[in-house]
Amino acid sequence: MNITKGALLRLLALLAVFGLVAAACGGSSDAADDTAVDDTAADDGAEDTAAEDTAVDDTAADDTATDDEAAAEDDAAMEEDEAMADAGPIKMAIVAPSAQDDLAFTQSMIDSIAASDAEIELSISDGLFVVEDAAAAIRGYAEDGQEVIIVHGTQFGASLIEIAPDFPETTFVWGTASDTQGLDNVFAYYPTAEEGGYVNGVMAAMLSSSGTIGVVGPVEAGDAVAYINGFVEGAEATSDVTVAVTYTGSFSDVALAAEAAQAHLTNGVDILTGTSQSVVGAVGVATENDVPWFGTQANQTPLSPGLVVASQVYHWEFVLDEILALRASGVLGGEIFEINLANGGLVIEFNDGYALPDDVRAAGEAAIAAIADGSIDPVG
Amino acid sequence: MGSFFTSAVLVATIASGLRLAIPYLLAGLGETVGQRSGVLNLGVDGVMQLSAFFAYWTVLETGSLWLGVGAGLAVGTVMGLVYGVITVTLGATQGISGIGIFLFGLGFSDLIFRRRVGTPKPIKQLPEVEVPLLSDIPWVGEALFRQTLFGYLAFASVPVVALMLKHTTFGMNIRAVGENPQAADSLGISVGRTRYLAILIGNVMAGLAGTALVLELGIFQQNLTQGLGFIAVALVYFGAWRAPGVMVGALLYGLVNATVLQWKAQGIIPREASDLASMAPAVLTILALVVLAGRVSPPAALTRPFSRH
Amino acid sequence: MSTPGTSQPASIPPMLEMRGVTKRFPGVLANDRVDFDVRPGEVHTLLGENGAGKSTLMKILFGLYQPDEGDLRLNGVPIRIESPTDAIGHQIGMIHQHFMLVPTLTVAENVALGLKSGRGPLTDLQAVSARIEEISSSYGLAVDPSVAIWKLSVGERQRVEIIKALYRDAQLLVLDEPTAVLTPQEVDDLFVILRQMSSAGRGLIFISHKLHEVMALSDRITVLRNGRVAGHTTPQETSRQELAQMMVGRAVKLAPDKPSVEPGADRLSISGLTVFNDSGSAAVTNLDLTVRSGEIVGIAGVSGNGQRELAESIIGMRHPSSGSIIVDGVEVAGSEPAESRGAGLAYVPEERMKDGAVGEFTVGENLVLVEHGSDRFSGRGLLRFGAIREHCRKLVDDYRVKTPSIETPTQSLSGGNIQKIILARELATKPTVLIAAQPTRGVDIGAAEYIHEQLVEQRSAGMATLLISEDLDEVFGLADRIAVMFEGSIMAILDTEAATREQVGLLMAGVESDPAPAAGVALDR
Repeated sequence: MNITKGALLRLLALLAVFGLVAAACGGSSDAADDTAVDDTAADDGAEDTAAEDTAVDDTAADDTATDDEAAAEDDAAMEEDEAMADAGPIKMAIVAPSAQDDLAFTQSMIDSIAASDAEIELSISDGLFVVEDAAAAIRGYAEDGQEVIIVHGTQFGASLIEIAPDFPETTFVWGTASDTQGLDNVFAYYPTAEEGGYVNGVMAAMLSSSGTIGVVGPVEAGDAVAYINGFVEGAEATSDVTVAVTYTGSFSDVALAAEAAQAHLTNGVDILTGTSQSVVGAVGVATENDVPWFGTQANQTPLSPGLVVASQVYHWEFVLDEILALRASGVLGGEIFEINLANGGLVIEFNDGYALPDDVRAAGEAAIAAIADGSIDPVG
Repeated sequence: MGSFFTSAVLVATIASGLRLAIPYLLAGLGETVGQRSGVLNLGVDGVMQLSAFFAYWTVLETGSLWLGVGAGLAVGTVMGLVYGVITVTLGATQGISGIGIFLFGLGFSDLIFRRRVGTPKPIKQLPEVEVPLLSDIPWVGEALFRQTLFGYLAFASVPVVALMLKHTTFGMNIRAVGENPQAADSLGISVGRTRYLAILIGNVMAGLAGTALVLELGIFQQNLTQGLGFIAVALVYFGAWRAPGVMVGALLYGLVNATVLQWKAQGIIPREASDLASMAPAVLTILALVVLAGRVSPPAALTRPFSRH
Repeated sequence: MSTPGTSQPASIPPMLEMRGVTKRFPGVLANDRVDFDVRPGEVHTLLGENGAGKSTLMKILFGLYQPDEGDLRLNGVPIRIESPTDAIGHQIGMIHQHFMLVPTLTVAENVALGLKSGRGPLTDLQAVSARIEEISSSYGLAVDPSVAIWKLSVGERQRVEIIKALYRDAQLLVLDEPTAVLTPQEVDDLFVILRQMSSAGRGLIFISHKLHEVMALSDRITVLRNGRVAGHTTPQETSRQELAQMMVGRAVKLAPDKPSVEPGADRLSISGLTVFNDSGSAAVTNLDLTVRSGEIVGIAGVSGNGQRELAESIIGMRHPSSGSIIVDGVEVAGSEPAESRGAGLAYVPEERMKDGAVGEFTVGENLVLVEHGSDRFSGRGLLRFGAIREHCRKLVDDYRVKTPSIETPTQSLSGGNIQKIILARELATKPTVLIAAQPTRGVDIGAAEYIHEQLVEQRSAGMATLLISEDLDEVFGLADRIAVMFEGSIMAILDTEAATREQVGLLMAGVESDPAPAAGVALDR
């Protein structure tokens, strides 16, 4: 009896450890496969399949390995750093709050790295919505000798201020943020999301027949508020429409975002838009009620192939290339980058599956051009 | 922009509140049964996430909603057995075991989701079922009798659970085992078996709650429940371990959330107060718990493993 | 007191036979070839000190343990009892010392628990209630089936336990110390019911260590000592004295010889004392009491009537809300324990392992716990180990504490020896007033005898003692005056010489003193 109980308890302990590991790492076991850029296709379902059955052990083993080797690699990596800057692929890591294929914020950066011309050896830690976990990952990557660490989340700023000074040779890239916190080895980046918002707003106003448009926002902060303010500006500049904006208070509460969209529909809204990874629920509501949807952060067409009109997509390749070039020339940080319609960092991707009237599309394209050449200020 | 007090808006808000309340209600009722038997399960949220994912994945792969519901139920059953082994057979500490289940559910659902599904893809949603005649009643019919199957199931479960606990031999055994397991044991009631069954009911209902959530939304995402399962556990305390009380709590939570969203949509809540308003349901729950604290005591044997010696 | 029932002729075959039952636990032989039987219609008492093997034997009967050797027969048929369910199936019932009731369930629900319902999965409480009423009226066990248990008094709860057994038609019923929480009148009522049950042909096993109850109720008595049968006897053939001797294994004095001592000056004077309990309600209300030099005053009462709060407020562990406590001329109400002790108080607390001694400390450390700061045992902040050791050895010898050494952890000793250590420590401070709360509860008879001798000796030396006890034998044996406490007040103070148990019992139940208490007054609380 005692023996059985002991064995069961050990089994249980194993299960608990597995649970903790799974919770802590989520799908970031992908990070172990230090994938070369060319392979980092956004849809990695197929090649991962083989590893699936052993995924658990892999994760656990990799974790311990990382810990054990970290100390040993530490010194070596620092010494090698200088030499490696010129030769071979750049060692880059990304720490992100949501899933790498979230069709939103995190995916925009992953896709951009994949699209970059530079030769990059990438490690990914995604799904780190707990700030403490992300901080541990950032420090871990720095200790591992990663050359460039992308800290993809405004909320990780406080951790970064503590960590970055300890690794003066490492370049930290933090966004979305519009300042570098005065650190020499930190680059900051942000999208002028209000530009795409404005363009979407112009088209939404023209499509709306009820004269009321609904916006499902997460928390009033970062690129979410920029996108939404631009959207309202663009819509109101185009026709006499009312734009109702709801901030649900959560970046990730899918159910709440869905009900927020539902509440808009009750009030006669006939066009919807929204931002953050929580909007997948709201897109579902739009689909169910046959209401057109405008996307942002990534191309959201797959969520509702018939109703997504257009999406503002972030292309960070331009920023990445700049940063890598600066690093090669010895500048490790200190600059701030913005992506916008003019520099090609922001792109409005239209969905061919949605029959957009020509005049609306033309108005949208005109707005893009006007913002790019500065004749329209998207924040009024 | 309409006023809040128009029939259409009120009806829609109530309907929205009911929709939001369903997962809380299903999970809370199940947890009520478990706690009445003396077993606290803080893993409700994890079970919900797992069942939500497997229901979603099944529908995605097979296109069949019914198979999805079956998958959700199966996950609830399996997790119930696991939790029974941990807390009853092994007599492990319930609080920390539940947290373990939660972390497992959170991590495992996410892991498989990314490996097998990757990008969130929409699936079929559960259709709303209109009750003939009743749904035609103006206002009331629209608000109450146009729900998914899970909606009717959740609200029908309230009297079922209440009557089960009060008027069946099994329910009486559950209450006895939760209050004084030694006494139940001395009368030949199997404490272990009773608790296993209560835990199974609790987990199956948590599984249904997760399934209801994901099939209502038609999409899955990492940490889909957002701690909903923990709120459900709090609602059991709120409801003083009684099914109608849990229903009041779930409805309050859902309706306050729906009202806040409606008011935000109509601009009644100014932008500056938006974040504060988002906290309203949680604040209300805490206030209610503080007010109710000490008035009703939990089952005396709650969290206490039973052994004869 | 009920009259002992007539002994059943030995020719009636026993309903239960336990033959050569042996049960071993690691390091302990709990039951060693125990023979025990019960005939229909008799009350067979199982008597023994704590750890003598009574409860192990009963747990075997109830299916909670399996015997290593020996066999059980029920009505001549060998049986194996695997679980309580089996025992219930064999119509064996047990009334546990700690009631096996679910407080939030009603009487009817508690009775119905574990039974098949006549309505399938639904409960059948109306039918159960009807049957309970029948049983109630035929045995005089008045109780409302629809009331929740937590609303009932202790006596009523016990009635529910008996109804549970009768409802299951238990033919063999084990009563594990059923009188521990009852007033003497409630005990009388219980005995009437038990007699009624046995005369209907049921067999009763009565477990107790209260000798006068055993003598009053039993048809036969089996005494256990150290896991073995020390003897079988009947009340007709034996005496309390002899039973105590069988339990302990040597001659014991049940009541100490008390030399007559003329009481001196007031040492402890309490007036107008009101004390609140932990939940904020008055536990002691406007109480007046005086204890003189050379006198033992006994506080009799059912536990929970304010005795604990009274003791704690005197020693300073609980501050009274009003009133005065004067020890040898010094006001100590509201003082801290150190000040009260300075005034000459000593305290033997009710919960000896919680308030009386530190279990992890050695015997020696516990012996000097109160005095370790005095000049005798410490100088310049350091303990004088030599002096302490000498003092402890003397106390251990004087008080006959059975311990391997003074370095032994206290918690490994028996209850009686721990109590001796506490008493030794407290009396070593040469107090003028001693508060002794339940000084012999759970203590073996030998140790109790010694503790009683010590208290009487100190009385001769002029100490004033306040003895708080639920054991009426102890109060009557030691006290010069008896103060009966009920719901926080002293009902009356009686001279022990003139008091009767019936009188004290009525007062304990809150019935005002009657000049001539009529025998057999029915109590209906």
